[in-house]
Amino acid sequence: MYYVARVDEEKCATYKCKQCTLFCPEANTLMFDDDRNTAWVNEPRCKGCALCVYVCSDLLKRDCIEMVMVTAED
Amino acid sequence: MGLKYIQPAPGFKEYLPKDYVDLIDFGPFGKEVDVQYMGQYKEILEEHPMCAGCWMAYFVRVFYASLPNPEDTIVIGTAGCARLALSQAAVPFIYGNYGDTNAVASGLTRALNIRFPDKNKDVVVVAGDGGLMDIGFSMTLHSWFRKEKFTTIMVDNEVYGNTGGQESGMSPKGVQLKMAPKGKKFEKIPATELAKLAGCVYVVKIAPTNIKRVAKVIKRAVLAARHFGPTFIHAYTSCNIEYSIPTEEVLKDAREREKKDFGFEEYMTDEVREYFEEIEKKEKEAKAKK
Repeated sequence: MYYVARVDEEKCATYKCKQCTLFCPEANTLMFDDDRNTAWVNEPRCKGCALCVYVCSDLLKRDCIEMVMVTAED
Repeated sequence: MGLKYIQPAPGFKEYLPKDYVDLIDFGPFGKEVDVQYMGQYKEILEEHPMCAGCWMAYFVRVFYASLPNPEDTIVIGTAGCARLALSQAAVPFIYGNYGDTNAVASGLTRALNIRFPDKNKDVVVVAGDGGLMDIGFSMTLHSWFRKEKFTTIMVDNEVYGNTGGQESGMSPKGVQLKMAPKGKKFEKIPATELAKLAGCVYVVKIAPTNIKRVAKVIKRAVLAARHFGPTFIHAYTSCNIEYSIPTEEVLKDAREREKKDFGFEEYMTDEVREYFEEIEKKEKEAKAKK
């Protein structure tokens, strides 16, 4: 079981803001996809700190990222 | 060190690990990538064992993304938290003994100047408050007195985080820590003031909340160190474990501290100011031409 961030990609694509990718403490983890216009999480690298949720929900009020529990099978 | 060492010999590329091939194809080597594109290219920093939500890990990420010439840079660290991430990047890293980072950097800078007199090779020391202002205090100050041309970056988490929470010279007065239960009795060391007195040509105090500003400051510090003398950055990188900050509130804490006692301060000598004005004017002109 791991606690990781997951991006609601449809919702995220409407904003094109990239702010969360600039505040993740881990490199190559919260990435931005230019073609689909959305942020996405490289889940095996995510440490579950939820800083991106603070940026997206508390600072920008956009609520595109949520924290979820995943198992190895997911 | 240098671009040609990063490129694999023809025919060998297919046998290299995927992370390395990604770094050659999509990495920042040899091109100037703006820090705003972080998250859209392969960064030189890799996975590392620093804590979740660590603001120092974030600073190290931004630091590697803002180096003006990562392929010509050597990073020196010491015991402490930051080296856990600093060593996991595609930039040569030297692990100094505790406290002697600036002495090692002095020798290395001089040696590089002899070996590559016509090239710019940058030496950057990134160490914690313990490594630079407590145990390495004399070597740090003496490297500044000698006007050694390299950058010193202090990632100040205000505690000995690696060893269980002892107070350091940079802990604020009155703070209670796990290994300092009575509270600290002395003031925080005025590191930036010392740097100015000791002869640093560019001194900055910053809380990393504005990524563009952090990148600009790091770039300026490295460039000023190439030509003029020692430069110093004092960055607030909280320890969310020892100061019990919930991981999602680390940025909030940094913003609060920025308002309270870690406001942005930048000091530079007149010749450095002229140099920055000159190169930034050239950059603007080059942008306008595009």
